[in-house]
Amino acid sequence: MSKLPLREHIRNIKKMFVLINGMDRRFLQGKIYVALSDAVVPYTELLLSAYVLDGISEGKSFQDMMRIVAVSVAAILLFRCLSDILNRSMIVRADRIWYLYECITQTKMLDMDYSRIDSPEIKDLKEKIRKDNNWGAGISTVFWQFSGLAYRFLMLVIALVLAMPVIGHIIRAGRYETLAVFLIMSALVALFHRFLLHFRKKSMNYMFSSLKEEEKEEQADFCWPFANGDGFDYRYGKDIRIYGSYDLMKRWTTDVLKNRKFRSRLLNGIVGDAGEMGFSAGNNSILTGAAYLIVVIVALGGVITVGSVIQLAGALNHLFTSVYALIYHASELALASRKQLSTLELLELEDEMYKGRLPMEKRSDNQYQIEFKNVSFRYPGREDWALKDLSLKLTIGEKLAIVGMNGSGKTTMIKLLCRLYDPQEGEILLNGVDIRKFKQADYLRLFSVVFQDYVLFPFQLGENVAVDREYEEQVVRTCLMDADFGERLTEMEDGVHTYLYKDYDDSGVEVSGGEAQKIAIARAIYKDAPFILLDEPTAALDPKAEYEIYTNFDKIAGDKTAIYISHRLSSCRFCEKIAVFHEGRLIQMGSHEELVKDKDGKYYEMWSAQAQYYREKGFDIEGAV
Amino acid sequence: METEKEGFVPKHYSILSDILFFADYFKREEPMVLVLSALEILLKSVTPLIGIWLPKLTIDLVEQGVTVTRAAAVLGGFVLVMIIVNGTGQTVQGGKYNLYNQQRITVMGKLFLKSLRIRYADVESSEMKKIYVKAQGSVNGGDWSAMSKTVSGTVDLLVNIISFALYSTLLGFLNIWVLAVLIGLSLINYALSLRHIRKQEAYREEDAATWKHFNSVSNAMGNPMGAKDVRIFGMKHWLLQLREIVLGERAAVQKKIQRTAAFYFGIGLLLSAVRDLGAYAWLLYQASNGRLRAGDFVLYFGAITGFSVFVNGVMNAIADLRQAANGTDYLRAYLELPEEDRISGNRHVEELARLISIEFRDVSFSYGHRQDVQDEEQGHGEDITEGKQVFSHLNLTIHAGEKIALVGINGAGKTTLVKLLCGMYDPDEGQILINGIDRNEFPREELYELFSVVFQETMILPFTVGENLSMDRIERIDEERAWECLDKAELGDFFREQNIDLHRYMTRTLMKDGLELSGGQKQRFLLARALYKDSPILILDEPTAALDPIAESQVYDSYRQYTEGKTAVFISHRLASTRFSDRILLLDDGRIVEMGTHEELMHRGGAYAEMFELQSSYYSKDSEIQEI
Repeated sequence: MSKLPLREHIRNIKKMFVLINGMDRRFLQGKIYVALSDAVVPYTELLLSAYVLDGISEGKSFQDMMRIVAVSVAAILLFRCLSDILNRSMIVRADRIWYLYECITQTKMLDMDYSRIDSPEIKDLKEKIRKDNNWGAGISTVFWQFSGLAYRFLMLVIALVLAMPVIGHIIRAGRYETLAVFLIMSALVALFHRFLLHFRKKSMNYMFSSLKEEEKEEQADFCWPFANGDGFDYRYGKDIRIYGSYDLMKRWTTDVLKNRKFRSRLLNGIVGDAGEMGFSAGNNSILTGAAYLIVVIVALGGVITVGSVIQLAGALNHLFTSVYALIYHASELALASRKQLSTLELLELEDEMYKGRLPMEKRSDNQYQIEFKNVSFRYPGREDWALKDLSLKLTIGEKLAIVGMNGSGKTTMIKLLCRLYDPQEGEILLNGVDIRKFKQADYLRLFSVVFQDYVLFPFQLGENVAVDREYEEQVVRTCLMDADFGERLTEMEDGVHTYLYKDYDDSGVEVSGGEAQKIAIARAIYKDAPFILLDEPTAALDPKAEYEIYTNFDKIAGDKTAIYISHRLSSCRFCEKIAVFHEGRLIQMGSHEELVKDKDGKYYEMWSAQAQYYREKGFDIEGAV
Repeated sequence: METEKEGFVPKHYSILSDILFFADYFKREEPMVLVLSALEILLKSVTPLIGIWLPKLTIDLVEQGVTVTRAAAVLGGFVLVMIIVNGTGQTVQGGKYNLYNQQRITVMGKLFLKSLRIRYADVESSEMKKIYVKAQGSVNGGDWSAMSKTVSGTVDLLVNIISFALYSTLLGFLNIWVLAVLIGLSLINYALSLRHIRKQEAYREEDAATWKHFNSVSNAMGNPMGAKDVRIFGMKHWLLQLREIVLGERAAVQKKIQRTAAFYFGIGLLLSAVRDLGAYAWLLYQASNGRLRAGDFVLYFGAITGFSVFVNGVMNAIADLRQAANGTDYLRAYLELPEEDRISGNRHVEELARLISIEFRDVSFSYGHRQDVQDEEQGHGEDITEGKQVFSHLNLTIHAGEKIALVGINGAGKTTLVKLLCGMYDPDEGQILINGIDRNEFPREELYELFSVVFQETMILPFTVGENLSMDRIERIDEERAWECLDKAELGDFFREQNIDLHRYMTRTLMKDGLELSGGQKQRFLLARALYKDSPILILDEPTAALDPIAESQVYDSYRQYTEGKTAVFISHRLASTRFSDRILLLDDGRIVEMGTHEELMHRGGAYAEMFELQSSYYSKDSEIQEI
């Protein structure tokens, strides 16, 4: 079917089976039982028909025959019911597996190296997974093909048992015309098979080929991603209207689908796929025809009952078509497994970050001292340093403000501190020990962070604060109150059990940006970690609101070690110590008064840039410096 | 668009109407689907008959004792017919399948494009968003989508009905009473299936709810934005707990569905066992009386037992079509939404003078229940609750060529005012006049030509630099002007240094080496986009939010140049922006509380002066800091 060697295919299929077994040990086994009860039915029917036909020609009594018929019909009913019940319990299991698998990449995101989540490598892999699953039904296809394979295998075995006598008969009788029919039919099938392969290659090319860079321009259509909000936010609709860009959007969505190159690629794939299906069906017809022809020839030459004709024709038909179907299901299974390779690749991705084993001793006195020592860092795939040669000691209980322009390395520093990334040079020490040596989970317990782009999930409010299903309601309430969310909380009928947003539950409530921020702060308070970090809340907040958040947060932080980040100098004015970052380096450090005195310094430059617009008669700015 | 408080219920169309709707669609977009479907129906209808005829033919040949050559010729001919019918049937089916699946993507695109054509206020409303998602669902979701189910269901329905008729005719030759009994059994089967379908349809809502739950948990786990929080707060445990709960819900629903199905299927099996027993009895009775030959016995038995397949086939097809009908209703409802250009008059903007004045006359505006603005600006913008009246009888004039600064705290209504101003929203009451003419007298698309707006969302599409700048096809770009605008926005040098030309793709979505801009650069790029359009009115909504202080002050310095010969509105909560404006509007809770020049307002010593002093104090006297 394709260029992969057989061994590879078997390995892929095995991987899929291991994966499925890992999710449900009894599923594949159960599928085999279903196949068995399914395979028994057609043969019971076949044998019954043969018996009845022979009975008629032998002149058996109506009552005798009906007795056998009644028993057989009852047996068939039983098998069918059994198979159905078993099958349905497998559907329930398959459903669970399907759902587990549907969110398997998302689940992987929970604990893979953070540094790789946004990496081009993972992005490409995710894109490949999306493409690979664009056709067919993902892991369900694997189930179906596996069932088909098991069913056809059992059919084949039973058919062999039933057909054995005929085959023996043919060989013993030396019937050459039967042999000739057999050969002609085989040749036809082989010929058909060549066509089949030809078409298969066509459709395969279409399914698996990824576009070359230069073809992308002409053939990339954004219907699917845009409509699904991938790369397009509905709010962009404003820009599209104002800038009259309907035509441009059309060019990249529906127009692409009418483009000649795209059409010919599509039609090629379709012809391949349809041709394959057609030839496959034609092949089956030949095989069925061959089965009947052989039996007729045998029957015409020798003494053979009408019942045997039906029995043998049926058995041979099942035999031939099963062999063919077996090959079909096996190759489809290989194909379906191959399509899941990209997913497996993601699952098997090993963490690159060194994960220490050193347990963290819990200190009730919170005497944790952090030191950055000549730390340099650049983001994966980037050449410029995001942080260069940073040395910085965080004094216990100190409040440090970090200011700087966009891209100066403020947030990067926080990410390194939380070990979302490891620096390429230098080290970060906790009480003198390299943080890489600690157990990741233990180490992260030290930090409460409100990121610039924090996220709340559409589940219950209390769960969002406690990040757990079970929690002490009273504690959560206190944290929300401390975060100044108390007023809204009292308005909520379900209290901490209120769902946020409507994604999960229709009863959910919307919260404003400011309120969401308070919940995120409550979450940080609830964690009660010795370090508290606040990365600039979104710039859309007005300065007054931002300042209030910072001061309120500072009160809550108490005697903990805290870091506040902003590019608005005014927000951090309560901090005694201010670190100024510029182009990845720590260039200044000191109190506002000290920093503003250095008129060649970056701090002064930023400060006066913001101040100049407030300069006014009557305000003696220079005097303050 | 009529939307009721209870929620939007789309017009319900009959199954036949849906079939005709898609048929009409294919007639226009891909007629081959119709041709292939017709062929498929023809070929698939005779396939079962061929299947039961082959054993009969075989037995007849054996019983007649014909020569081997003759047997080979007859059977060979028959097999040839089989090959052609089955082979062509499958080919046609495969071709049709792939073609209509491709069309699903096209419909997805059409829905998307439609969303760019309806009123923007509707795009934003939570009600309409739901309809959009449901309409998408009708084409998204592979073989389970409404579009796929309608096509395959229609073909299946006709195939099974024709096969049913063919078998009936065949059995009618045998015995009219046998046929009557079989049709009676089929009716029972039909009634049972119908009950079953209804039962299953009742589970669908539950099923949809668990799907919704699953999606939100899955999205929560996979959201790259949340990955930092997940790690720092150790949320893995919690999210996996939620996943387990959802899977439990799923299993419970699925069990119910399967139990019901097993019950009805069991009854069906029992019925067919009774039927088989009856068929054997009757046929055996006939045969033992010598009234039926072996070949006919096989043929009729096949026909009797095959009969129920078609009834089930018809029922399955009907179930599919019924299920599809719901999704199709939403698809059709969305595609039939009125386009905003219908809100248009006969005047044209060319009549207007180059300098534009805008007047709000007695304008009232409130967000309807359907409006869902909480998540505006990624959840951090204006805090507006549903149904809240934002403006009540607002009067406001922006003179031609005037530079306005619109200030106020978050939630004052600034962004809403901008949306009203540029035609994204329409007032509930009152009028908005452009150079004294009611703006509804202009076609909406022409009205948009008057505005260059930088909104808060930084829209960079995965197209070329030139396309993102001109927001038009790259072939039509004016390169010289493009560079001029990039220079004005102080991006030109950066682009030249990095060797970025207008044909370079932006973002990494499409091209691996796509251009990624930083937050500040994006805002500059948006500014360049607004300048490229060069409309008589320039509106900047917080254009400096992502800029650092130095870059911000550069924008302020160039502002005069940007707005030369234009009417301009600058929205900011940083009062510094007011220094280069002719007039300041201070918005508070939907009302213009103060208006005038900076000096006037400072002199008045009102809310503006207070805010300004608050903000400037940090830059003036350190002693005041502690008092804030």
